[in-house]
Amino acid sequence: MSDADPTSPTGAETTDGEEPLSISTVADLGAEIESNVSRVIVGNGDVVEHVVTALLGRGHILLEDVPGVGKTMLARSIARSVDCRFRRIQFTPDLLPTDVTGVNVFNEKTREFEFQPGPIFGNIVLGDEINRAPPKTQSALLEAMEETQVTVDGETRVLPTPFTVIATQNAVEPNRTYELPFAELDRFTKKLHLGYPEPEEEAALLGRTVGDHPIESLEPVTDRGTVVRARETVSTVRVERPVREYVTRLAGYTREHARIGASPRGTIALLRVAQARAATDGRDYVLPDDVQAEAPVVLAHRIQTGDRDRDGDAIVAEALESVPVDSDRA
Amino acid sequence: MSTDADTHGRSTVRLVGDGAAGPRTFRLLALGSVLVLSASYVSVLREVTRVVGGTEALFALAGAMVVLATVLARTIRPWTAGVLALAAGSLGFAYYLEAAGVGVDVLVSATDGVVADSLTLATGMPLLQMVEAGAWTLAFVPAPVFLSWYLALRGRYALSVVPGGLALCFLVLTGDAGTIVTLLGTLAAIATVGFGELARRGGSVAQVDLIAVLLAVVIVLSLSVTFVPSGPATPTTAAGAGDGTLEGAIDAEPERSAITGTVDLSPEARFTVESERPSYWRTGVYDRYTGDEWLRSGQESDLEGALEPPPGEYETVEQEVYAERDLRVVPAATQPLSIDGSIADDATVSAHGQVYPDSILAAGESYTVESAVVDPEPAELQQAGTSYPEEVTEHYLQRPESTSSAFDERTAEITADAETPYETAVAIEDYLRSSNDYSLEVERPDGDVAEAFLLEMDEGYCVYFATAMTQMLRAEDVPARYATGYTAGEEVEEDTYTVRGLDAHAWVEVYFPGHGWVPFEPTPPADRDAAHEAYADGTPAETPHDAELDDDGQEPDEDVGDGSNVTDGADESPTNGSDEEFPGNDGEFGEETDRGPDEEAEGGPDIGPDDSSSDEEFPLGLSIPRETAAIGAVLLVGLAAGVRRVDAIARTRRLAGLYWQGRRGEPDADAERAFRRLERLLAREYRPRQPSESARTYLRALERETDDGPAVDPRARTVLERYERAVYGGGVTRSEAEEAIECVDGLVRERLALPGRRRR
Repeated sequence: MSDADPTSPTGAETTDGEEPLSISTVADLGAEIESNVSRVIVGNGDVVEHVVTALLGRGHILLEDVPGVGKTMLARSIARSVDCRFRRIQFTPDLLPTDVTGVNVFNEKTREFEFQPGPIFGNIVLGDEINRAPPKTQSALLEAMEETQVTVDGETRVLPTPFTVIATQNAVEPNRTYELPFAELDRFTKKLHLGYPEPEEEAALLGRTVGDHPIESLEPVTDRGTVVRARETVSTVRVERPVREYVTRLAGYTREHARIGASPRGTIALLRVAQARAATDGRDYVLPDDVQAEAPVVLAHRIQTGDRDRDGDAIVAEALESVPVDSDRA
Repeated sequence: MSTDADTHGRSTVRLVGDGAAGPRTFRLLALGSVLVLSASYVSVLREVTRVVGGTEALFALAGAMVVLATVLARTIRPWTAGVLALAAGSLGFAYYLEAAGVGVDVLVSATDGVVADSLTLATGMPLLQMVEAGAWTLAFVPAPVFLSWYLALRGRYALSVVPGGLALCFLVLTGDAGTIVTLLGTLAAIATVGFGELARRGGSVAQVDLIAVLLAVVIVLSLSVTFVPSGPATPTTAAGAGDGTLEGAIDAEPERSAITGTVDLSPEARFTVESERPSYWRTGVYDRYTGDEWLRSGQESDLEGALEPPPGEYETVEQEVYAERDLRVVPAATQPLSIDGSIADDATVSAHGQVYPDSILAAGESYTVESAVVDPEPAELQQAGTSYPEEVTEHYLQRPESTSSAFDERTAEITADAETPYETAVAIEDYLRSSNDYSLEVERPDGDVAEAFLLEMDEGYCVYFATAMTQMLRAEDVPARYATGYTAGEEVEEDTYTVRGLDAHAWVEVYFPGHGWVPFEPTPPADRDAAHEAYADGTPAETPHDAELDDDGQEPDEDVGDGSNVTDGADESPTNGSDEEFPGNDGEFGEETDRGPDEEAEGGPDIGPDDSSSDEEFPLGLSIPRETAAIGAVLLVGLAAGVRRVDAIARTRRLAGLYWQGRRGEPDADAERAFRRLERLLAREYRPRQPSESARTYLRALERETDDGPAVDPRARTVLERYERAVYGGGVTRSEAEEAIECVDGLVRERLALPGRRRR
């Protein structure tokens, strides 16, 4: 059930002592990953960009869409481009939490219990069709996402860095799935939709996949260590007071106009991915534009409107329409 | 006046309006404005009833109409209401015609006349000139009051302004509605429409400023543009005399005679009369007294043939009058019977038998007039009795409603011993001659002139004496009227009299059954002659009198200087002849005129010119600014609202901020300000930035939308980058900020080329 790449290191070792990358290097890195991924994923350039900024902004991604639009392919090509351990968990109704986290197995030779790490111990973990598993199993994954550690038989084990979960969720067959609890939805930094490709994009896609699938020949453009250092750099990107206030105003708007608005976890996540976006744009400071670009995918799924006609997307769009960027232009 | 209070209340509400004003508040404001509009024209009508009586009836009728409209507002349909109002109006005018003695049946046959009358009214004939002005107001008031209040209650605010507006408009055309009342009415009309709209469509207080602007505009327009042919206001003095002269006042117009304060006298010759006996040369007769002035009511007719002679015995006197200067009057001895000469073809005769020219009697022209001089013995007048004809009592006993009881009591005291109308007249005449001094320099009292003169004032001139006497006689139910004209003048040859401006005069005519109108002279003749001769001598020129006239905007009369030319003649006691003038009246006229003029030569000018001048200035300094201040306040409010409406201050600041970067401060602040300037430039060029639009998004959007101009200029990007770094990044250095400022300077200069500052 796992799709492990045995050649990749797990990344359990620390990366302390290494110099953070410069902003321009991070920008180049982001651009390289994007172009690499887009050799496999046709179109959806902004979704790829969102995945890259989530990766650099220490976030997790929920991809929700109909089957067959390339959710898994996107996750795999990201993992390949970064050259780090990629694990895949196919969630099914009978999947157990230990199937995710790993289990202590009795070693006959050593007469000891040995920990057999589960598929969660990867750098990029694809949780496929996460809503098919029962909540108990889902929560095992979600604990790992929040804490970057798992606890098996009372023993806590730290997950490797970087650790990014890309979960997919099927939008069809809703009665045969376990809908993610709202609180757990909140742990995903972004919720993305791939959508069907445009006609010409689909034509190009078909042309590429005839013969060898391009994913097979995809070469890594960077390594695990570089991504970790890039993450360090991203976290140093400057977020000045006007931007923080703008984010606060946006969140405040969603709280005023919906039953449940964006959580503080949401605004923290928003600033992190905005930092990543600023870095990939070659800036060491966040602009309101970064926030505006990230807000719909970061905030929308954290909002419950209590209104059938308006979903979270609509609320966020409204907020962006009506919340003034500068505090003195209200 | 109630209008003031209403308006005040309205503006107060408006000013304290706190944003929560709902349609209900606006509805109340609109209804209040309708009431103000109604009050404006009712107050004009009240001015009429104050003079001729019927104020209570007028108010009762207006109130009843408001109540009726309130009751019917919910029950009847607009068309029914319209018909009802029309019916009320027709009924009212039928009543008026009956009261005027025309009769409704005549109306049908005399439609031309009615139309002509209405036209006369609408072209500036004051309401008070109508014989039955009181009845007319009652006829006039119901329809507009009812209709406007009915429509306002039904929420048809715009329509409700129409009847009231028409009513007010009509009163403006008749010249009865004063500037302030008209202004108030107009403002109320606009406020009605404005507030009505807000009430209907649910506006906010913020939109009230638009109404304020409109009101202010109306005020400015009304003060600067005059479209009403304001006949009454234009100074068309009778004998071509100046404004401040006695002649100018008493013969201001054919139909009214003003009562003013201090007057001047002109020694210039007006006309010469050849007559076998001297007389007062009458130029005007007035029957209606408003408290402020004298008016002539009744229709005038073309002069055709002979005029009606007095009822009793009379002596026919023929006079030939030569105009020395252009005349607008036809002086003649009382009572003219027939006129010969070119002017006869072009003259009208009033209901009182006085002839008025339709055109100017040019200098050098002449005419012959035959007059019936009534010259009865006192004994005859004693026995005349009191069986007055109805048309005499109807018109010549009129008194303003406001006349106080103190006036009546004092008059009754003075005439306590008099048993006949003649004795009454003589008693009043004697009393006035002895109690009050003669002076041409008086302060015009505020209220009723006759009352003030009898009860308060110590001195005055002929106008005051004659006015007081007429009203006192009427208080005693003796029909009397006010006559203006000239005294006999100076007898230059035998039977030839030269009449000068300084001979202008006003006196009283009293009606005696069987004799007709007999003149009386309440003015102390000796004092008058003395004062007038002082003018002829040029004496007043040496007194502070001239300076005082400047208050009225009058040039010191140049004629005074000329006075020296005629002094000699004037000294020869021009009123000599008037001694014999009214012998029957037992000294009413000029008996004492021959008393040496020198005795009290200084009498007139002597009487405290200092006092009067200071008195004159004081109310002037107080009364005018009150209106001005009110108008100014409304203007200021309107101006402020307008400024707010168009955001003028912010605009100016924005424009100024576009050109000037201002003093340098922190580099970050400078870079930010540089971008704000760029933003203003772009806003002028394309569109302003939305609040939810980030700086970068804005510029990108403009770049996409245009292919030319500052948005695609690379310098704009530089400024944007510097701005972003200053605000969101780690800040900019001095030189970077300067670079941004320079970029903006360049862009601004290119786009808004200041003359001489264009660089490339």
